[in-house]
Amino acid sequence: RRSSDLKTSQKVGTCLGTVFFQTNKPHPSVNVNCTNNKSPKQVREDDYSLYKEMKKQTDPVTGSDIPDSNGHIDPSLEPHWNMAISASSFVMWEKSSEDVHYYMAQVKSVKQWLRKDDFIDFDYNILLYEIPTEEIIPCHIRTVWYPGQRLKVKYDCSSALHSEEGSSEGQPDEGSASYGNF
Amino acid sequence: RRSSDLQTLLDEEERELLAARSPVRSTGSFNYATYHTLDEIYAFMDALVAENPGLVSKLQIGKSFEGRPIYVLKFSTGANRPAFWIDTGIHSREWVTQASGVWFAKKIVDDHAKNPSLLNSMDILLEIVTNPDGFAYTHTTNRMWRKTRSINAGSSCAGVDPNRNWDAGFGGAGASSNPCSETYRGPRANSEAEVKAIVDFVKSHGKIKGFVSIHSYSQLLLYPYGYTSARAADYQELDSLAKASVAALSAVYGTKYTYGSIITTIYQASGGTIDWTYNQGIKYSFTFELRDTGRYGFVLPANQIIPTAQETWPAVLKIIEHARDHPY
Repeated sequence: RRSSDLKTSQKVGTCLGTVFFQTNKPHPSVNVNCTNNKSPKQVREDDYSLYKEMKKQTDPVTGSDIPDSNGHIDPSLEPHWNMAISASSFVMWEKSSEDVHYYMAQVKSVKQWLRKDDFIDFDYNILLYEIPTEEIIPCHIRTVWYPGQRLKVKYDCSSALHSEEGSSEGQPDEGSASYGNF
Repeated sequence: RRSSDLQTLLDEEERELLAARSPVRSTGSFNYATYHTLDEIYAFMDALVAENPGLVSKLQIGKSFEGRPIYVLKFSTGANRPAFWIDTGIHSREWVTQASGVWFAKKIVDDHAKNPSLLNSMDILLEIVTNPDGFAYTHTTNRMWRKTRSINAGSSCAGVDPNRNWDAGFGGAGASSNPCSETYRGPRANSEAEVKAIVDFVKSHGKIKGFVSIHSYSQLLLYPYGYTSARAADYQELDSLAKASVAALSAVYGTKYTYGSIITTIYQASGGTIDWTYNQGIKYSFTFELRDTGRYGFVLPANQIIPTAQETWPAVLKIIEHARDHPY
């Protein structure tokens, strides 16, 4: 499959994913390899300018309902929508199976935790949309990031039926997201 | 003074009275590129009828659970004709559908002025807000509400999925028996006032020849069945009509749609609208899933309302014209 830049719809690379379902194993083995049309230098520069923008905040960034009911996103909140999509993609990855898949429906809230160390730190409440049940699943996600490093994601999703927790700590490299290096 | 001057004065006075009370002055100045409230859509309907007497009428086909009137616009130039049904907004969070329905209503009127031949053979029936209680709830309380707002006995959860409540495969796999579920089928088929109103209307009309129920999102055009993997008897014809309809849609802005039966294209779903209408003998029964494919999903930006409606209308028209040209 070809990947497109979410914002510009420009083709940015190709990804090949293989999924092997094995008898007597609860989860399939998944391998994803992507090429990126962007040069590694450009990726590093883009990541770092996002990082600098977030790091220079003296008041924590906050936002709610992204997009709002009318599908509108304030331009200043777009990077947070994109980061929430990134973080949610990990959650959706963990929760998906051959019977159920997800979309991120909306960011209900985002709040930055200002840190004295090098990381940037965000707290999200997002809504996942689950197919085929049609359910809306609220998830609380914490992310911590430094450019060039894997996005660290901790999450807790609730639903009427069950609650699950998970984290990206100890996630095997296979299938994990190193966001600068696709 | 000549009587035509007096009539003009009376018409003008009536329009001014209507405009003074109504949030909608005229369908000409109505903003189609924004999402509207229930009151605004109902006022739009009244304005459209007032501006087009003899062409557009408003029928009340029932009342919602919470007592809101349920309206269908009828576009007709003669009596006792076969009809084509379109509904939008059965799932309240799918806002681009009600918004498209409003645009379709205006489109039908505008096109009729240029080319009256379509309505010469067939009436069009358009239910814009099929689930008014749910729609009001998406404005006041929960933008992601899908179902009706009926009270479920013995449960703290409200609402029934109006697209699992029809008497087609009711009770089978593809719907939930849990009132808290988004796909709760309800205690029995047609338990929902919103569904029963349409069922009663369709049965008493007796001459509906095509039925399009509009949802979002996923960019799909679907035909029966959802409750069973058995192929519909008219599968070949429905499939080629779907292909032609999707081509007409894509021709407008290049938007890509997939088509097929509900069960093979989306998932198994029982108690669905078009399975029931098809089994009633309404051969040209289709469901659309409009834009997008998940980037914005239910919260589609308002600037996509008009493009969505503009590309969808030729696709719906393909089906209407086919029904007109293949009477049965």
